[in-house]
Amino acid sequence: MVKSSLVKGVVYWNRKLHIHLGLFLLLFIWLFSLSGLLLNHGDWKFASFWDERNEQKTTTPLRVPAGLDSAGILRYITAQLGAKGEVTEVKLYPDSVDFRCEVPGHIRTIHVDFLKGLCTQNEIQFNRWGILRTLHTFNGVNKENPSKPASWLLTNIWRFTMDAIAVGLVLLCFSSYLMWYKLKTGRLFGWLLLLMGLAGALYFVWLLRLL
Amino acid sequence: MLLKASTLSVKKYFPFVQDLHLYIGLFISPFILIFAVSVLVLNHLGSLNNTSPVKTTMERRLKLHPLPYDTTDLGTGKRISSHLGVVGEIDHVFKGEHSLSIGVVRPGLETHIEVNTLTDSVYIKQDQTGTLRATTYLHKMPGPHLAMFRKNAGFMKLWSILTDMTVYMLLFLTVSGVFLWYFLKVERKMGLYAIGLGIGVFTMLLLLIL
Repeated sequence: MVKSSLVKGVVYWNRKLHIHLGLFLLLFIWLFSLSGLLLNHGDWKFASFWDERNEQKTTTPLRVPAGLDSAGILRYITAQLGAKGEVTEVKLYPDSVDFRCEVPGHIRTIHVDFLKGLCTQNEIQFNRWGILRTLHTFNGVNKENPSKPASWLLTNIWRFTMDAIAVGLVLLCFSSYLMWYKLKTGRLFGWLLLLMGLAGALYFVWLLRLL
Repeated sequence: MLLKASTLSVKKYFPFVQDLHLYIGLFISPFILIFAVSVLVLNHLGSLNNTSPVKTTMERRLKLHPLPYDTTDLGTGKRISSHLGVVGEIDHVFKGEHSLSIGVVRPGLETHIEVNTLTDSVYIKQDQTGTLRATTYLHKMPGPHLAMFRKNAGFMKLWSILTDMTVYMLLFLTVSGVFLWYFLKVERKMGLYAIGLGIGVFTMLLLLIL
């Protein structure tokens, strides 16, 4: 009796979860689906972004106070320039510093010469297609050192969002299995399709490297 | 009145859309799982490297029979890898003055080939990257980089079709899901809250990040 009501409860909440989680994730799924297609189809002319970029090079006076550590130098420069974003590719020399400061669709490559007190900025701004593409890949993971934490709070928040969407998709898949399993009809055809999909996925993920 | 009539006329498709939603969903769910799991791996690669590092399973030095290096980069890469019995997608071919660096990949298995074009000597290294990294490789393929090289192996051509198919089917699932929800009167109010919350969180995040 208790078991039966527990099963009923699980089935009830599982269905609710599937429907409402799916509706909640709607825009996120559209964003990552569309941007994924754009990344795989660079030849789509309507979504061209690189040729349409705005690029601007500026040189401005910028004196960095002495006595700052490396993090302090970067903080001071970005604050002076009003630059926000993920700081990467930092190369600090005794008389200069080079780094990138990036938000999706807006990249600044910054060089500051401490001796001359000059800052040279190369800014690239993408159109909306470029922004979409970079949102898909913007996770702040350093290729050379993946353990290095992201430098910008919003990179971490966006990465967390990506994780949450991924977990949401996993939940949608598993909740759909339970909903399908509770159906009395179409079991065999469902199995056939699920097994076909599974076989395909296993071929790519596991079998291909053994052949 | 007119709206109600059109709603009723559309409702007759409910069982058909429900079947499509179910069966398409079941078929693509393993591929969606690949993409979802790979996101977690890509976002936390440092943790994976600590717990399950890449294993080098083979290292070898060989002498190659003289081969012409004056064909296209991809042609050279294919010829050398086939000569060495290495199968997979040619990931890259980088040419130095007297050297060639070729990467050949199958999901979960990466082979690095270094050729000295003066002496025809070859160094091969094979890395087992494992199942989780295999999902990340698949997630990123074919991708935007080195597009002129991509889809040079049969499996990559097939994967490229499957990824597109998965995305289009996923988009269909979202649209059909909204259609099915719309006719579930008991879930309508809660569903509207879910959509509203989703739009709110989505907009807020984009406003913050851009």
